[in-house]
Amino acid sequence: MSSSATDPDAGLPAQTSKAGTALWLSVLRIAGALAIPVVAFFAMWATFDFLRSEDANRVIVVLVAVVVGVFGVFFLYWGMNKAVDLLPFRYREGVRPWIFVGPCLVILSVFLVYPVINTILISLKDAFGQEFVGLDNYRFVFSDDSMLRSIRNTLGWIVIVPLFATVIGLVYATLADKLRRGEAVAKSLIFLPLAISFVGASVTWKLIYSFRPAGFGSNIGLLNGVMQGLGQDPVAWIQLRPWNNLFLMVIMIWMQVGFAMVVLSAAIKSVPDEIVEAARIDGASEWQVFRRILIPSILPTIVVVVTYMVINAMKVFDIVFVFGNAEADETEVIAERMLRWFFISANQGRGAAIAVVLFVAIVPVMIWNIRRFREEESIR
Amino acid sequence: MRRLRLIAPILAFALIVAACTDDDGGGEGSPTAAGSPAGENTGTVNVLSAVEPEENEVLQNIADATINQDQSDYTVEFEQSGNFEEQVQIRSQGGTLDVILLPQPGTVVQQAQSGNAIALEDMGFDIAELESTFGEYFMSLGEFEGKHYGIPSNVNLKSMVWYPKDDFDKAGYEIPTTWDELTALSDQIKADGGTPWCVGYQSEGSTGWPATDWMEDIMLATAGQDAYTQWIDHEIPFNDPAVVNAGELFGDVMFGEGNVLGGAENTPSVAFGDAPLPMFDDPPGCWLHRQASFITAFFPANAEAGVDYDWFPFPSIDQQGTLFAGEMMVTFRDAPETRDFLTRFMGEEVQCAMGEEPGSSRISPNVNVESTCYPNPILAGASEVLSTALGGEGEAGFDASDQMPPEVGSGSFWTGMVQYMRDGPDSLQSVLDEIESSWPA
Repeated sequence: MSSSATDPDAGLPAQTSKAGTALWLSVLRIAGALAIPVVAFFAMWATFDFLRSEDANRVIVVLVAVVVGVFGVFFLYWGMNKAVDLLPFRYREGVRPWIFVGPCLVILSVFLVYPVINTILISLKDAFGQEFVGLDNYRFVFSDDSMLRSIRNTLGWIVIVPLFATVIGLVYATLADKLRRGEAVAKSLIFLPLAISFVGASVTWKLIYSFRPAGFGSNIGLLNGVMQGLGQDPVAWIQLRPWNNLFLMVIMIWMQVGFAMVVLSAAIKSVPDEIVEAARIDGASEWQVFRRILIPSILPTIVVVVTYMVINAMKVFDIVFVFGNAEADETEVIAERMLRWFFISANQGRGAAIAVVLFVAIVPVMIWNIRRFREEESIR
Repeated sequence: MRRLRLIAPILAFALIVAACTDDDGGGEGSPTAAGSPAGENTGTVNVLSAVEPEENEVLQNIADATINQDQSDYTVEFEQSGNFEEQVQIRSQGGTLDVILLPQPGTVVQQAQSGNAIALEDMGFDIAELESTFGEYFMSLGEFEGKHYGIPSNVNLKSMVWYPKDDFDKAGYEIPTTWDELTALSDQIKADGGTPWCVGYQSEGSTGWPATDWMEDIMLATAGQDAYTQWIDHEIPFNDPAVVNAGELFGDVMFGEGNVLGGAENTPSVAFGDAPLPMFDDPPGCWLHRQASFITAFFPANAEAGVDYDWFPFPSIDQQGTLFAGEMMVTFRDAPETRDFLTRFMGEEVQCAMGEEPGSSRISPNVNVESTCYPNPILAGASEVLSTALGGEGEAGFDASDQMPPEVGSGSFWTGMVQYMRDGPDSLQSVLDEIESSWPA
């Protein structure tokens, strides 16, 4: 951003007015960056006031919301762009980018930067967000049995889920690619679970793992049906520590395999046929083609899929929450602890501290992801 | 200059953030803050609560048929809200709150602490009279710094043991009134080839709460009301010998050979709503089920009260304990019409009319309301037990886990009970130690 902003300075004519021009340029830039958000804010304020009045006709309310929401934003940018054209030539191209980037920066800061700062502040305060308590909440995060278990479990999630989901997805994509017929059907079947919400999938799997002790009627769970069919006693799967963690991870793997498969399948198809054929002519076996040609060619895609899944696994919450009292089952994960402490145990300080820990843990993955992305861009 | 370019956007964010927060604050408050001076009749009394819409309608109907008909100075409007806590917060600051119905006494004290609620003493109510109407214990739950803020408006009984009446009578079993009789009954059931108890603690993220009710019942009936209150206020530790004793008695029931259908270790897997169902099998899969009055909603649709099932109060151990939960009215506007409303609403006439309303399952905390006001036999029986207990006989106790800090009352207490069930009788001390250590400083 800064490099593009320095460009217009080079074309300025008079040496003496350079300082003055630069000052004006900054002022205009700030004004430009703020103009759209401020105008939009007041336009929306007026619209919301209108939308809030209860006696307004519903149809009109919806129409106004659509018109203001869609066309309003469009005209705002269009109008500002026109306004920039009215500026003296030497300012124009220096100000224009700020008009378009400004709203994004403002929205990011209001909805992202401010909450992050505020969360860090709250994490240093007591349960009610009143008094500063120093690092007590962080001490709790790294000493409480249940918290330590949640960190352990989350580590399990970020290793096992991406590993299995990617491997299964890759194998499936490779095999489906070789199908003469029915590739689309085969892929759709694996892709379907991705269309279900995490909560929906969890409820479905709850039925699969369902257990009723003797005397409470017959077992309706699929797994226990199989167990009984094999002449075994039904098992309370979700109470089975520590294996219940794996049973929950299976749900996420089941959901994410479809995503891995679709992305990797696209990558496999983009590997040039010439390379593969050349390898085959040179006498490479199918395994060697897969191992030496395919995998290296699609490695960047695999990395993207894995990082995406690592981040998803770090944030996992719904599955664990739906399955009941995580602390009693010892299936706690960090995000679940955060919600539990923040809302159910009404301890803002501890909830925020857990949030900060989770945030800090995700940052390196993001940085690594961005760095890899940049490297690839530079190769291209 | 370069540095300025970086600082400028940051300054801009700060300005926008400040502008946004300020505008929000002003916008919320101004349109609603009508601010009528205290003591002036506004013609309406608004009663805000978190009850279900159906119950709200029942309340409104009763008010229409009684209070709104009997006088013309004001009208009573019942209002329910899905985000009750937030509404109370906003409207108490805006000064547009008349009366609210609070389901938890702990929050009554919070409202008093915030300075917005009005003390009954300041409104001219005679506390001694209220205490004779609702019992000293219930009134004391709404006490803050020597003043009372809550008038009980609804109560429900938790110390109930359900049994399959027809089979029970056929088998010739007697209703136990003491712990020894209960133990004898359960031995007899086992000798006859049955299983005494149906127990289920699974309740999604709140798994374990029905077990805390068991502990509370036993705690009341062994240690008594004073120790029970000290336990809630953390004046005695959670691993006090009195609590250990209650836990052991609880364990005797749960871990006794053949006592619990499916075994104690499986109770955390049984949904609390499914737990009583085997009682309706033929022959009954179990004979006893301890749960509050709401559980009838989970009974089979064709099960008839007084025929297929009935209940008896949780037996006395060292004394008779009565565990209950309930609701309190808190006032935010001192005016003649709110005072008149409170007096009428808590009076026997309106309360009795509420019992007669078929759609209502509310039980009056007013001990002077006769049990004949309730056509429903289950409610009538519960009301009798409650009136006796609130009147000061035996040991009444408000649900303890609801009054403890949330870290314990809806956290470690639930979890601890699940661990106890799973790890067996020997884990009791370590479970109680762990709950004690989770108590916020």
